[in-house]
Amino acid sequence: MDEIRVTIDGKQLSGHPGMTILELARENGIDIPTLCYRPELSLLGACRICVVEVEGSRTLVGSCHTPITPGMVIHTHSPKVLETRKVIVELLLASHCGACFMCDKANICELRQVAAELEVGLPRFEIKKRYYPIEDVSPYIERNLSKCVLCRRCVRACRQIAKRDLFAVAYRGFDAKVVVDSDRALDKEACRDCDICISFCPTGALSKPRKLSEEKKGKPLVITS
Amino acid sequence: MPEKRIVLKNCGVIDPKNIATYLAADGLKAWQKARQMAPEKVIEEVKAAGLRGRGGAGFPCGLKWELARKSPGDEKYVICNADEGEIGTFKDRYILENDPFTLIEGIAIAAYAVGAKQAFIYLRAEYHHLLDLLTSAVSQSHEQGLEVNIEIREGAGAYVCGEESALMESIEGGRGEARYKPPFPPNRGLWQKPTIINNVETLMNIPRIILNGAGWFSQTGTEKSKGTKVFSVSGDVARPGVYELILGSPLRELVIDLAGAEKVKMVQIGGATGRIVPYTMIDTPLSFETILGAGSIIVYDESRDTIDIVYRTLEFLAEESCGKCSPCREGTEAMAEILARFDRGEGREKDIKVLEELARAMSISALCGLGQAAPTPVTDSLQYFREDYAKRIKQGGKVRC
Ligand SMILES: Cc1cc2nc3c(=O)[nH]c(=O)nc-3n(C[C@H](O)[C@H](O)[C@H](O)COP(=O)(O)O)c2cc1C
Ligand code: SF4
Ligand code: SF4
Ligand code: FES
Repeated sequence: MDEIRVTIDGKQLSGHPGMTILELARENGIDIPTLCYRPELSLLGACRICVVEVEGSRTLVGSCHTPITPGMVIHTHSPKVLETRKVIVELLLASHCGACFMCDKANICELRQVAAELEVGLPRFEIKKRYYPIEDVSPYIERNLSKCVLCRRCVRACRQIAKRDLFAVAYRGFDAKVVVDSDRALDKEACRDCDICISFCPTGALSKPRKLSEEKKGKPLVITS
Repeated sequence: MPEKRIVLKNCGVIDPKNIATYLAADGLKAWQKARQMAPEKVIEEVKAAGLRGRGGAGFPCGLKWELARKSPGDEKYVICNADEGEIGTFKDRYILENDPFTLIEGIAIAAYAVGAKQAFIYLRAEYHHLLDLLTSAVSQSHEQGLEVNIEIREGAGAYVCGEESALMESIEGGRGEARYKPPFPPNRGLWQKPTIINNVETLMNIPRIILNGAGWFSQTGTEKSKGTKVFSVSGDVARPGVYELILGSPLRELVIDLAGAEKVKMVQIGGATGRIVPYTMIDTPLSFETILGAGSIIVYDESRDTIDIVYRTLEFLAEESCGKCSPCREGTEAMAEILARFDRGEGREKDIKVLEELARAMSISALCGLGQAAPTPVTDSLQYFREDYAKRIKQGGKVRC
């Protein structure tokens, strides 16, 4: 196969046809943050955190889904790129109503990691919080969609890896939400105990339920996950 | 420059229910002529005419067709975008109501040129009342021997489904949301097959070009904007309606001379995601080189309030954002909330900086044209009517002029 030569951050690199900017960058040790992208899942291009500058392009482009073309000159960390990524992360944090210090996933949360890398502090945008009651009907998954960033990794993982297709997106704009059926709580009937979606969720929106009932009965709390 | 009826030639002249009246007005002659030409020659003619898309983006029509023609594969599609969701546009409705036959002829020629056997007309949900008329026009045209099968699909009432990739998702039965690009439709569109998608008005020009020749067509207009444009004029005007003007005609002619506007404060050109221009720019020519959009012209007179207009526009866009990508989903909401504050007279100095920063990020990072252009009313009004924002910071209450 023909090689495709491009320039990323001043380095001459070459990749094979069909390769995305992100793949080539990562292969060469250039880090571009991502949130909705996962190599095991189909491409989506939703979070826009991975945007990069391509010379001659009117807008920034999503590096996770844009294939390399001959002669492309790409900047992954230009001031324009960093500024834009920061605004996006800030927007996601602004509507996020999870209290991080009480979150199981606080130390492994990808949203927090990206925010830390980009040095985003408290968001300047005031925007209403995304609030949904916790769904804890299912014995297998607890869904706290107030912490959801709509990356749809759970939707795709359930469909493409677990082969179950339980989740879909409903509503639009700010009200967009990952739902089960016509927006009902996830229960035992719907889901088998595979944990795949939980492992794909970048935030604390999906987790293994704790067995709080046992604690109430005086037994010691055992966290099994 | 005067009004000139190329696209609307048959409107009010033929009976849209009866193809005989259309045939008597040179109907289907262009289609017959096209079929005597090689498909590549048809595309050459459209390219030479300099026809650009009338749905807003102004992409060269012939080039789009050529890309689809050259894309490998036997199965190709033509889509006519009749979603007409842009605020203040009703020109496609006027065309569909009065002359569905020319549109169908345009679709047939497009299908012949790119090698498609199947075409779709994606009809705006609110135009349901036109379904019977269109269905009848399609079947009458099929009786005349059109090879392409034309199917009408109704939308479900989403603005974003006018965006080409969301429209294709919708035809495929999915959620109406934009896809990432590339691939572009001429390479991989509907069901991942090569597809051309054109606005109603773009396709209306095709029979005229084929019948009269590219040279005839490209005589009118400016260097980069050939032919005419159909405008929908509404707002504070004495004579709202549909007007067809030669491209390059000044805004003044349309808004003041033809539509009879007085005491104009600003004009919103191209709908919710379009440009806002102050009265001082009333002599701007309407063309792809300057300002055009899909032909929506909303006129506001001096009694109107800038913040009110911009706030309502952003509220609409926040509501219509499909919610897929974060900059648009969260950004339109943030902008609408800030503007709501200005509307209540509770704006703050730092909000303006925040609006500008959001606008910069959204316009270059959103996934589709909706989110990219959503900040336009904000940035334009900040440029031309900044004092109206300032008044809502200092004094509170509505600005009175
Ligand atoms: C949010 C959004 C809404 C759109 N709505 C319409 C529409 O209602 N009708 C239309 O023809 N094009 C619309 N477009 C433009 C289409 O994506 C596409 O460019 C057009 O149909 C191509 O046809 P043309 O080249 O003939 O103009 C819209 C674009 C965006 C981003
Ligand atoms: S629940 Fe988790 S994985 Fe699913 S969309 Fe929300 S953040 Fe992404
Ligand atoms: S820009 Fe807005 S409408 Fe377009 S994909 Fe993103 S959220 Fe959807
Ligand atoms: S990682 Fe590329 S758009 Fe989300």
